[in-house]
Amino acid sequence: MKTPGKVLADKVKRIKDSKLFSVRSEALPTWCPGCGYFGIHYGINNAIQGLGLDHHRVVVVSGIGCAGRYPFFSNTYGLHTVHGRALPVATGVKLANPELTVFAVGGDGDGLGIGGGHIPHTARRDININYVLFDNSIYGLTKGQPSPSSPVGFKTKASPAGTTDQPLNATLMALAYRAGFVARLFAGDPEGIAAALKEGIRHQGFSFFHVYTSCVTFDKQFKTWENLKKRVRPLPGDYDPGDYKKAMDLVLSDDDSMGIIYRRS
Amino acid sequence: MGRVDLTIEICGMSGDGTIAAGGLLNLAVSKAGFSVLAFDSYPAEIRGFGRCVTRSRFSDQELKALTDSTDVLISLDDEQSLSRVPFLSAGAVVLFDSNPPTPVEEAKSLAARLSPGMAVLGVPFRDLATRASGSPRGRNLTALGALAVILGLPEEHFEEVITAKFRPKGEKVLEANLKSFRAGCDHARRELAGRIREPLRPPARGEGPERVMLSGNLAIAQGALDAGLRSYYGYPITPATPIMEYLAKKLPEKGGRVVQMEDEISSIGAVLGSFFAGSRAMTATSGPGFALMTELITHGVMSETPAVIIDAQRGGPATGLPTKTEQSDLTAAVFGGPGDSPRIVIAPTDVTECYRYTVKSFQLAEKYQTPVIVLSDFYLDNRVENVVMPRATEEETADGNLYPDPAEAGRYRRFRLTETGISPRAIPGTEGFLFAATGLEHNERGIPNYDPDNHQKMSSKRLAKIQSALADLEEPVETGGGGEYDLGAVGWGSTWGSVQEAVDRAREEGLKVGALKVTSLYPLHADLVRSFMDRCAEVLIPELNLEGQLATLIGHLFCGDLHRLNRVTGVPIAPAVILDKIREILGKGQR
Amino acid sequence: MAEKHLVVIGNGPAGREAAAFLREADPDSRITIISREHRGHYQPRLLPRLIAGQMEAEELVRPGFDFYEERGIRLRLGQEVAGLDPERKVVVLGHREIIPFSGLIIAVGGRPRIPEPLLVFKDLMLTLKTMGQALVWQERLAEVEEVLIVGGDLTSLALVKALLALGKRIFFVFCQEAFWPLRCTPELLEGAAARLRARGVEVLEGRLRSLIQKPEGRLEAVLDRTRIQVGLVGAFFGLVPDVGFLARSGLQIERGILVDQHLNTGFEGVYAAGDCAQVFHPDLRDYWVSIGVDNASRLGRIAAANLMGGAERALVKPESIFSDQGVKANTSWWMEF
Repeated sequence: MKTPGKVLADKVKRIKDSKLFSVRSEALPTWCPGCGYFGIHYGINNAIQGLGLDHHRVVVVSGIGCAGRYPFFSNTYGLHTVHGRALPVATGVKLANPELTVFAVGGDGDGLGIGGGHIPHTARRDININYVLFDNSIYGLTKGQPSPSSPVGFKTKASPAGTTDQPLNATLMALAYRAGFVARLFAGDPEGIAAALKEGIRHQGFSFFHVYTSCVTFDKQFKTWENLKKRVRPLPGDYDPGDYKKAMDLVLSDDDSMGIIYRRS
Repeated sequence: MGRVDLTIEICGMSGDGTIAAGGLLNLAVSKAGFSVLAFDSYPAEIRGFGRCVTRSRFSDQELKALTDSTDVLISLDDEQSLSRVPFLSAGAVVLFDSNPPTPVEEAKSLAARLSPGMAVLGVPFRDLATRASGSPRGRNLTALGALAVILGLPEEHFEEVITAKFRPKGEKVLEANLKSFRAGCDHARRELAGRIREPLRPPARGEGPERVMLSGNLAIAQGALDAGLRSYYGYPITPATPIMEYLAKKLPEKGGRVVQMEDEISSIGAVLGSFFAGSRAMTATSGPGFALMTELITHGVMSETPAVIIDAQRGGPATGLPTKTEQSDLTAAVFGGPGDSPRIVIAPTDVTECYRYTVKSFQLAEKYQTPVIVLSDFYLDNRVENVVMPRATEEETADGNLYPDPAEAGRYRRFRLTETGISPRAIPGTEGFLFAATGLEHNERGIPNYDPDNHQKMSSKRLAKIQSALADLEEPVETGGGGEYDLGAVGWGSTWGSVQEAVDRAREEGLKVGALKVTSLYPLHADLVRSFMDRCAEVLIPELNLEGQLATLIGHLFCGDLHRLNRVTGVPIAPAVILDKIREILGKGQR
Repeated sequence: MAEKHLVVIGNGPAGREAAAFLREADPDSRITIISREHRGHYQPRLLPRLIAGQMEAEELVRPGFDFYEERGIRLRLGQEVAGLDPERKVVVLGHREIIPFSGLIIAVGGRPRIPEPLLVFKDLMLTLKTMGQALVWQERLAEVEEVLIVGGDLTSLALVKALLALGKRIFFVFCQEAFWPLRCTPELLEGAAARLRARGVEVLEGRLRSLIQKPEGRLEAVLDRTRIQVGLVGAFFGLVPDVGFLARSGLQIERGILVDQHLNTGFEGVYAAGDCAQVFHPDLRDYWVSIGVDNASRLGRIAAANLMGGAERALVKPESIFSDQGVKANTSWWMEF
């Protein structure tokens, strides 16, 4: 049986071989082997290619963090901005040229911490961009501090006694902000990500993708691949994402169901 | 022929029609052919009570400054007007209501504080208005009527502007207002016959283009519109808000949009995103908002992305004095933000330049792939001048972007080192020219790169690029005839008007003085500034900030010690103050 | 304790002298002079020279504002007193301003008098007391050739000099009531008339009965036995105390403000001095009216001294008081003609 590390290493090789980096072959990903970001990357690229979008009409706007490096690994236009500000910059890009398909990407620190103030307003304005939030509940690039979605009791160098703050629930926030398309996904299921993204890209309005992922280097206690795989499960087959109240009720009690949680009709 | 130069104030409480009367006065005087410069003060509170003061200076010469002394005061509320007494000139004319609704104690009396040289003219505004129109509401116009007759201003111009303003509100309203106005005129003719001056003669302007009253804010907004602005992203902040509100009305008519963002950070973010995608955008803010924008501004510098930012300076630091003017964001605009981040900073000095510089800023931003900061200030934004409405030329509004050669497709290097430092920029949607712009240091292809050599080269590239903008930026303008000066005064922003007037008056007194207007603050035409200062025995730099921010930027270009005239009083520096300083430095004593 | 406020109404010789004295005696109190005139003080007797173009308006105004500034006296020009409450000790200005005072000296002087029979023609005649009026004279004189002077007080005689200098044709009608409150003796009038005729003035007999307005601004004067047409008519019947505003104040008013020999009005801290006052003479047991600048100055000083706690008496030699028609007067002004 392959170890999780080997599975992912194979995936890395496949991605490399697919020549998605033909434009920037000199750039090596800074993501660690085994990082869930590779899965998300696979999913996003599949969605773009699956929809037949022209790469030169896609713009990926990122913040700061490991997720921030995303544009360099994307065969599209990219804009690596400053910490927490991907959403407003993406807004400017999309409104300037609505023909472009615009993604905003960033981690949980970037999006829920410093960038947290921009999510509600981008959702309110219903700007037609696709915001993918890579949630590994940790600050990886700066080497392992707790993030706004870290659980209580999370021990790190910055929180040796364990965190005491309540974690933020990004899916719940997006729903509370009345986002018109909310999906909760798992980096270990890149096909699932691709499927949801295709729907979200087609959705005319703000689409939010909350992706659970693992930081293999700095989180050995909470969001490990083991723990995640144990937790996550697909939404029930009969789940109706058109019911806002049901979506809210679900997310209030269920942190582990994956799929399109809500879609405004 | 005597020169006409009068400063008139109307002072009242909110609800007295002070601002309306001031507006009508400006328009009427402008129609009469005079040059007008006006600056009003509003109550700080939103609702309820507060003092309103309109201050208009009109002259037969072109005006660019306000004096610090008032020649005529119309008091619509004596208690409020008490605060204006210290600014009255020795021979000022004061008009007040001689029959107030309730008696006034001496301690609160306006008349009690006036000097014997002043003309203390009581006119029963309320009574006259009530008798003429049935209500005291038009008493502000009654006061204007009395003023018009006393100053010898043509009444027909007042009637024209009153009609234009009130006709849309119905004939009854118009009649009532005209009657109120005429009642004031008649009273003055009858009762104040001994006080009427010689009619004022406007300059012979002949048939020229019509003049409009234009404020700095509207000039900026219209300039942006005329330059092809597509999107405005902003956040309400005094004194920049009117720009957003004007564009909110006008931009949609042109197919553009105004989006009120959640803060200034998202505003500048969206502007950068917009320009990245090839579309002109702008944001306007003041000091506190500008501070929030600095990180993203440096991102624009590093990623070589255009942006247009208006910083309408106000009293600082921090929240400061939202409704007072100051020029204290200069060093923040030039240097603000982490690292070496050279960008373009320009500062208009009057309303017409507010228009022209805003128009220019878009092309500059695109051509030099940089944030362009236009520094105005509360005084410039809110003052009105009667100007010929400026119009942008096609040349000024043309696309400034340098697009890549299609032959480069597939091998595109976004940040290619070039002679000029400007690397052709592909716009998203262009096939074969994919790249990512980043705030990290990067190589020619845009890939993050921290090699020592690379950072040195790239930093120099960006600096050289900005330095090359000097060719497209307004050079400093010298007045004074050239040659050597005993003293040279250097001014920027709204203070320039006062500097110029002070220097003109000094020259009339026979002093050998020159002046230099600097509008391109970064990059700076250092050689030209130096060559001016080399010809000056003394240099004086007046500015509305505490330690002299322009002085800090250019002081090293002068061999001697330069003199600073710094004020942070929240009001413009008057020409007389600068003139006194000039005389003091030259050992000529006070006026 | 509230600052003392000493108020003087009137900026003529009496008022100014009073204010200057007050300041010398009291360096700390607030002192305010309120004057209806828009301009600083000037001597009315010089107005004819202004009319004749022999002086400029600015030259007449003496002293300059420095006089008041140096003494810390606030001078309020162009503001009229409309009322007085001597018990509450407030003065009310025409624009409804209430000024409290600790001490008050009324020195408003007089205004040109027009006798009752001619009151109906008031608007057709010019008088001459203020600079404003002098400027009107100047303006109107530029357009007329003939002038009729009715009355014959000292101002009119000074004006005649000016009119002669301007080359105008002058008609003169003497009235015995002109030099009110004195009634000139026929001999006095004859002497004056003779002197005028010697200068080329046409002195007419009889009284002025009426004035008729004619086209082009001309006036027809109807006398007992003659009619003449002139461009301008001047009324010069002396001055009457200008105290109308005190009608309801509670002060005793006859022709002027009645004051005791200390110039006090009967109300504590309220005094009157100069042309507006009628002063009680203990020996005569009657009141006398003051005429003339020197008298005014002297009385102003005495009023001020007494306001400050002094007890000077405003006395003149009984024999210097002219008496007529029940009114006594002393004048310090006489002119040589």
